[in-house]
Amino acid sequence: MWGFTAMRLIATIAVGLAAGMVAGRPWAGIAIALALQVAWLLTRLYRLDHWLRHRGRMDPPVLHGVWDDIVTQVARLHRRKRHHKQRLATVLRELRESTDALPDGVVALTAQGEIAWFNRAAAQLLRLQGRRDIGIRIDNLIRQPRFVRYLQAGGGTAPLVLQVSEAPEAWLSLHVLPYGEGQRMLLIRDVTRETRLETMRKDFVANASHELRSPLTVISGYLETLATDPATDPAHAPPLAEMRRQAERMAAIIGDLLVLSRLEAKDGQTPGEPVDVAAMLTLLRKEVLARPRHPAQVELAIETQDRLMGDELELHSAFANLVDNAAKYTPEAGRIALRWWSDREGAHFSVADTGPGIPAASIPRLTERFYRVDPGRSRATGGSGLGLSIVKHVLQRHGARLEVVSAEGRGSTFSCHFPPERVLAAAGRPSAMIDTHGNH
Amino acid sequence: METTDLSHHISSRFNEDLESVRADLLRMGGLVEAQLQKSLAALADEDSALAADVVRDDAQVNRLEVEIDEACLRILATRAPAAGDLRLVVAITKAITDLERIGDEARKIAHIALRLASLERPADRYREIRHLGRLVEVMVHEALDAFARMDSDAALRVPQHDLQVDEEYESIQRQCVTFMMEDPRQIRRMLDVTWAARALERVGDHAKNIAEYVIYMVHGQDVRHTRLEEVQSRLRARSEGGAP
Repeated sequence: MWGFTAMRLIATIAVGLAAGMVAGRPWAGIAIALALQVAWLLTRLYRLDHWLRHRGRMDPPVLHGVWDDIVTQVARLHRRKRHHKQRLATVLRELRESTDALPDGVVALTAQGEIAWFNRAAAQLLRLQGRRDIGIRIDNLIRQPRFVRYLQAGGGTAPLVLQVSEAPEAWLSLHVLPYGEGQRMLLIRDVTRETRLETMRKDFVANASHELRSPLTVISGYLETLATDPATDPAHAPPLAEMRRQAERMAAIIGDLLVLSRLEAKDGQTPGEPVDVAAMLTLLRKEVLARPRHPAQVELAIETQDRLMGDELELHSAFANLVDNAAKYTPEAGRIALRWWSDREGAHFSVADTGPGIPAASIPRLTERFYRVDPGRSRATGGSGLGLSIVKHVLQRHGARLEVVSAEGRGSTFSCHFPPERVLAAAGRPSAMIDTHGNH
Repeated sequence: METTDLSHHISSRFNEDLESVRADLLRMGGLVEAQLQKSLAALADEDSALAADVVRDDAQVNRLEVEIDEACLRILATRAPAAGDLRLVVAITKAITDLERIGDEARKIAHIALRLASLERPADRYREIRHLGRLVEVMVHEALDAFARMDSDAALRVPQHDLQVDEEYESIQRQCVTFMMEDPRQIRRMLDVTWAARALERVGDHAKNIAEYVIYMVHGQDVRHTRLEEVQSRLRARSEGGAP
């Protein structure tokens, strides 16, 4: 094509030159030929430009020669671009439609916490207002202190469940997940139903336990009267004694259920007051020794006078449960050791026993309600099956964790680890924590 | 018409300062909203522990007020903001005072809740107070939302609740007086209930003030001590006159 175009240019110049030679002015002939050539080119350019400007409404022009090639290429490029654009738009629309169909709210946040994008469910759940809320920091709209703290901590593994003023009756679960470079995704789920069910379950357990207590008191009362009444047939003494034992056990279970439901009803961590753990443990040891049957050795090692910030009643019930378990499962020839100490990681309480030990597979399940390692044996010891659940809940409310180390046949050690911010160094005697810093 | 646009500053540091002080104000707002809500829950459920929490956390509100005030002064002194930015800073310094007062009212209600918790709870769990409380909670929330969105239309809607709040307040007072005449042993409790209603009515007024600062901030119009209809017509005239 280009060869043809070049040939035509040369031919035009040659014709111009020939005509000029005939007229005796060869340069003028060439000039006129070139001018004609330029004029022709300009008309092509004009038509090309015109078509490019209005190509949406016009068919490609027929321009001859190399110009047609250019037109074809431009048209092809244009078609390809339009095709891509349509595909992209379709993908975007599908993405938007699919996220809008999600029942859960999704809000994309920039690194600064500004709203970058949200779907329809998020707009409904949080009452976001279309485009005008894009660019507003999410914590400027959801201002609950709990959420602001949660967001500042960078979200987390667990979602936050709260009520927002936009929908006062609803409970929302808000979950912040990091993605990309500093961006975050806020997932919102309506958990009103789940929360209500959970509340109903808790209320039911609490109410049922409460209601069971009064009839049980009556039964226990009559059993006691019957057992001590001289008119009772002596042959009935053993069954009566057994009935009394079982009634006592039932009362213990109901008592523990009530403690547990009270613990569950409380939200978050307890701020608490200083608790003298050393004194509490001394008393617990005496109580164990006062039992008719107890392990031969009950040792107590108090290595710190530091006090613990917490709820005294709750801590007592947790520690008493742990000590009680150790005392119950350790044979009379065995030994249990209580220890209270503190270091840089916080304060710690441990109970070690020389009991039968716990199979490794059972350890993770120990704190489940009514979980029994050995159903036959445990019932005989008369526990409620709720002790370790209570321990777990109390420790949760104190930001502490429970550690269980056990070897079958050799005994178990239960340790409670309290964080440093819960430890109150004893006056006059700096704790180990302060000591290590003071040396510098 | 100039509006407060936070994105037009050449100095991005200045921009960040303004943005962060505004975020702090809204954080304080969130805390105050929570305080108000907790104090009302403490009253309705006779939860003295919750009431004690409110009294304790009021110090936090006061601390935030001082911090934000200092931050605003620093901006005024070092950046010498003009026009919309100046109005934003001024509106914030005014709004924190109102928020702090709302916090004080919440503390008052918590104190009343502590006192009433020792008495026998009425069967309706102070229904009227809860209703009034819900109304002013919505007012505070809407005023702060308008602040976050720089939305003067939403701000204009806040004072409209005030009429309803006043009516509720009136009716609670009348009811309390009736109860007092019926049974003089109830006077102590009824006085406390009127005090709580009074505190809530004040909260509504503070929410209205905050809404007015939003209008001032967005339009540069001082609408204090002006009737609602007049404000609306003035703003309408402005936006029609200023439209291209």
